[in-house]
Amino acid sequence: MNPNIVETLNVAREVAWLPWAVQYFFLIGLSYGAYLLSLPGIVFRRPGWAGISRLALLGALVCGLAAPVALLADLHQPGRFWHFYAYFTPSSWMSWGAFFIPVYLGGLLIYAWLAFRPELARHAASGGKLGGLAGVLAYGGHDSRGALKAAALLTFVGAGLVALYTGAEVAVVQARPLWNTPLLPLQFFVTAFAGAVGLALLFNRFGLRDAAASRRMAGVLAASQVAALAVGALCLALGVSGISPVHVQALAEVGPSANWQLSAVWAVAATVLTLVLAWKAPGSGLLIGLLALHSAWMMRWSIFIGGQEVPKTGAGYYSYALPLGPEGLLGIVGTAGLWVFLFVLITTLLPLDRLAAGTPDKAAA
Amino acid sequence: MKKAFQIPDPAARAVSAPPAPASPSRRNFLRGVPVLTAAAAIAPTPAIASTGRQQWAMLIDVRKCIGCQACTVSCIQENAVPEGSFRTVVSTYSVKLTDSAQPAGTYVLPRLCNHCDNPPCIPVCPVSATYKREDGIVAVDGDRCVGCAYCVQACPYDARFINHETNKADKCTFCAHRVDAGLLPACVETCVGGARIFGDINDPEGELARRLKEAQPQLKVLKPELETAPRVFYIGLDERFTGKVEGQGTLWKPRSLPHA
Repeated sequence: MNPNIVETLNVAREVAWLPWAVQYFFLIGLSYGAYLLSLPGIVFRRPGWAGISRLALLGALVCGLAAPVALLADLHQPGRFWHFYAYFTPSSWMSWGAFFIPVYLGGLLIYAWLAFRPELARHAASGGKLGGLAGVLAYGGHDSRGALKAAALLTFVGAGLVALYTGAEVAVVQARPLWNTPLLPLQFFVTAFAGAVGLALLFNRFGLRDAAASRRMAGVLAASQVAALAVGALCLALGVSGISPVHVQALAEVGPSANWQLSAVWAVAATVLTLVLAWKAPGSGLLIGLLALHSAWMMRWSIFIGGQEVPKTGAGYYSYALPLGPEGLLGIVGTAGLWVFLFVLITTLLPLDRLAAGTPDKAAA
Repeated sequence: MKKAFQIPDPAARAVSAPPAPASPSRRNFLRGVPVLTAAAAIAPTPAIASTGRQQWAMLIDVRKCIGCQACTVSCIQENAVPEGSFRTVVSTYSVKLTDSAQPAGTYVLPRLCNHCDNPPCIPVCPVSATYKREDGIVAVDGDRCVGCAYCVQACPYDARFINHETNKADKCTFCAHRVDAGLLPACVETCVGGARIFGDINDPEGELARRLKEAQPQLKVLKPELETAPRVFYIGLDERFTGKVEGQGTLWKPRSLPHA
């Protein structure tokens, strides 16, 4: 800060991407991360992964269905969402995103349905809650491997495109040096995947409490934290060394701020703590799960809300206070409420215990 | 001087556009420039359109700005800008002086949409709601805008915002509705010091082109390194204020309407 210049009059621009946007990026990231975690058990049938992957697929579904609602709510004209399809604009990543989301979600719904069909049939046969509905949805309850793999592939393409666009959309904004780095999409991806592992850990904790699955996921989570630290260190090194001008600018934007310094220390400490716990105490599924989710959310909050607190022309920083209405806290709580509703709805048909069990026999036991 | 803000050479333009109405800068020309003689002021300037299409631009002579915010207020009045939002404002800074007996001086910097020739806000719009008019004005199609605020993020000049009364992207339009009617933008009309000069950059006889040409060596634009090619030019722009200002931020924040 230059103490020779004091801004006496200027406009403080309010944040234009609201907490809804944070919720969207958080949930869609968790969704595609959890989808990836569903592959080893469901598609590749790796031993020991069946329960993990089915819990992850549940997470992908719940988060994936809640995310677009948050995205719509962030539009100031949500009723005009169809304009995205009527006026395609190839120069805009957001415009592409409007087409990538349905590819991903469409694929995910088909994939999840094919994966859970036998489970739905079992639920109906065992006379579970809403068994009739489960029976209808099961539609015979066949296990169609070929179709499942095809749907998983379609979802994989969609997930890749969603991960690409959500990262690129933010990273291309030259006007915000904090966002304008090529590593940002990678940071989104790594933290999203780690958060998804955290979510699956929580599901496991509140389901069967399968200790072996918990340890397995702790290993994956530890690896993801190493990756997160590595990417973070690379960003910092590029900024400090001056090798990459965009990273130098990004660092210069927030480096002098005490708030940002605290956030950075907090983020690194949380990541290191998650890593150490996942490595040394892999049984602490609840704690490391919550920590991973917290880091994924906080990273997005800092980037989006914190990033918009940096004036583009004015001096210093704007100060954001979370409003309590739909443009603030209510948006966060509302999204969480929708998430809970979807979770309850889906787990009524597909009980957590049944999903967490590696095999149908284990669930019966 | 960077290429990004070179004034286009009117002679290089194709002579194809239909005749255009006289430049609104005439009024400014008549009204606010005391150095001109009356004879010069009333001298006709024929064949304005013979040099090509109109391209509106603004020159801000910071030396003449007194920071009165008449432009800010007239813009709000003219364009019904909601409370707490601004299409133009005069950023005001207190700057420590080293070469004077006074401890500090005031620096003022009128800001508005730069109507860039290479506008970063346009390619990001997911529905092509924002566009550049033939005459260079960057505008928003309010019937198409979805209010996603991507353009707000992409503008390096913090010139865009979401209007909480319309829930659409909002910005300075160079008062296109006035300009189309042959009037000056409200901020130019009310500028007390005559610091804002508006006109057709392609009209070599016009006030704007003439003043731009005269001031060429000292012309500056904001954030030239981004190569947005702004159509708002400055005379007397201090180097320390061309980008994000390094200084102590203001604590003042306008009260904005609670938005739905």
